[in-house]
Amino acid sequence: MATLLRPVLRRLCGLPGLQRPAAEMPLRARSDGAGPLYSHHLPTSPLQKGLLAAGSAAMALYNPYRHDMVAVLGETTGHRTLKVLRDQMRRDPEGAQILQERPRISTSTLDLGKLQSLPEGSLGREYLRFLDVNRVSPDTRAPTRFVDDEELAYVIQRYREVHDMLHTLLGMPTNILGEIVVKWFEAVQTGLPMCILGAFFGPIRLGAQSLQVLVSELIPWAVQNGRRAPCVLNLYYERRWEQSLRALREELGITAPPMHVQGLA
Amino acid sequence: MAAPGSCALWSYCGRGWSRAMRGCQLLGLRSSWPGDLLSARLLSQEKRAAETHFGFETVSEEEKGGKVYQVFESVAKKYDVMNDMMSLGIHRVWKDLLLWKMHPLPGTQLLDVAGGTGLAWVLGDAEELPFDDDKFDIYTIAFGIRNVTHIDQALQEAHRVLKPGGRFLCLEFSQVNNPLISRLYDLYSFQVIPVLGEVIAGDWKSYQYLVESIRRFPSQEEFKDMIEDAGFHKVTYESLTSGIVAIHSGFKL
Repeated sequence: MATLLRPVLRRLCGLPGLQRPAAEMPLRARSDGAGPLYSHHLPTSPLQKGLLAAGSAAMALYNPYRHDMVAVLGETTGHRTLKVLRDQMRRDPEGAQILQERPRISTSTLDLGKLQSLPEGSLGREYLRFLDVNRVSPDTRAPTRFVDDEELAYVIQRYREVHDMLHTLLGMPTNILGEIVVKWFEAVQTGLPMCILGAFFGPIRLGAQSLQVLVSELIPWAVQNGRRAPCVLNLYYERRWEQSLRALREELGITAPPMHVQGLA
Repeated sequence: MAAPGSCALWSYCGRGWSRAMRGCQLLGLRSSWPGDLLSARLLSQEKRAAETHFGFETVSEEEKGGKVYQVFESVAKKYDVMNDMMSLGIHRVWKDLLLWKMHPLPGTQLLDVAGGTGLAWVLGDAEELPFDDDKFDIYTIAFGIRNVTHIDQALQEAHRVLKPGGRFLCLEFSQVNNPLISRLYDLYSFQVIPVLGEVIAGDWKSYQYLVESIRRFPSQEEFKDMIEDAGFHKVTYESLTSGIVAIHSGFKL
């Protein structure tokens, strides 16, 4: 907490005089001096990030329907981890292409007609089936706002957009149990604090039976697969639509889930 | 507050104004910018190129009304919760003090502009009120005048609709008079309030606008001059909470 307050307190004590135009007063400035680095960017001070992280964590626990709070938590706590992820993407040829070309997954960038026409069992067809069955859309991902680096802002955006791919790869539905399993996989894969927090706190609202299944079967499976698989952010999914889902799972070392999760939770 | 009836007043916070006004003819006025677009356009014909502030941004005068409207559309749902959170409930004390100063009696014709939540209401534009001249005994506006594009016009309208002998009362954010408290207040305003807006209401930008618009509002003395310019007499003000807010009062003779 002290490290968050220090730069703010320094300014507090060091400021001379009272009557200064609004633009000059650091405490009044929208940011630490930096303007927005990308569209939707809201520059924030370390203190604000700390408050946002704490507030969003508390609110996400209090009201699990506040998905925006989970996103804010990820953005305000992920800077260091995002750098590691970005560097690791740079070292991988497919990952580096993704960083270069910055593909986005949304209904405007996806050719849904083409995906529909792909053979059964292909990544594209199964991804579409996942969207249909779970009644979700790739457009519900909010844009990044609190990451103070435009490349890292893309990395976290990519992570979010790839989340649905992970559901498809792991064969996990979008109910609470399925989400927790995917979070464990993501936590091991990315190391993002938000994933780790979500993995540990998500189960709080589960009943005893689900908890039992989670701890004894699902988490060990998710962790094992997470460790074995190469980084999923390095997959250029948009170029792999025709690839058979089974072949992709083999390539990544992802095994079948220990049980069918749909009926649980 | 040791005045008789103050205990009763304490319970008449924010939403409970209508109970305090028991016996008074109370009308609240809500803003209606899109609805009043025609009259607003006629008014602003000469001023089309003029610019004004929207928080720390610069916008055209025409734009401002719409932008403010959007802010309040956005904050309406969580308005009372956010006010409690941001001011730690102190906004209720400020409003109580305003009420106490006003001391409304049965039969008082009272107009509360930018009425927020609660009250029986009429839709209108503070710069062009849908009422006849000389109609009200008291005109109040609490935390509303700051958002009006042409404050001078709102003040003139207030003067017009008041009866002779009528009183204008405005509760609004003002300038802090103590340097240390001013810095703490700035720190709290700019570091904490937008965060509260984001966490509670999912809306950073509206609350950023809020704290910026407060800085843009004239000081106690400047606002007093503006009220006098609109034709009011015996204009006084009282700063509350080190000047975080002030209650301005004036009379139409």
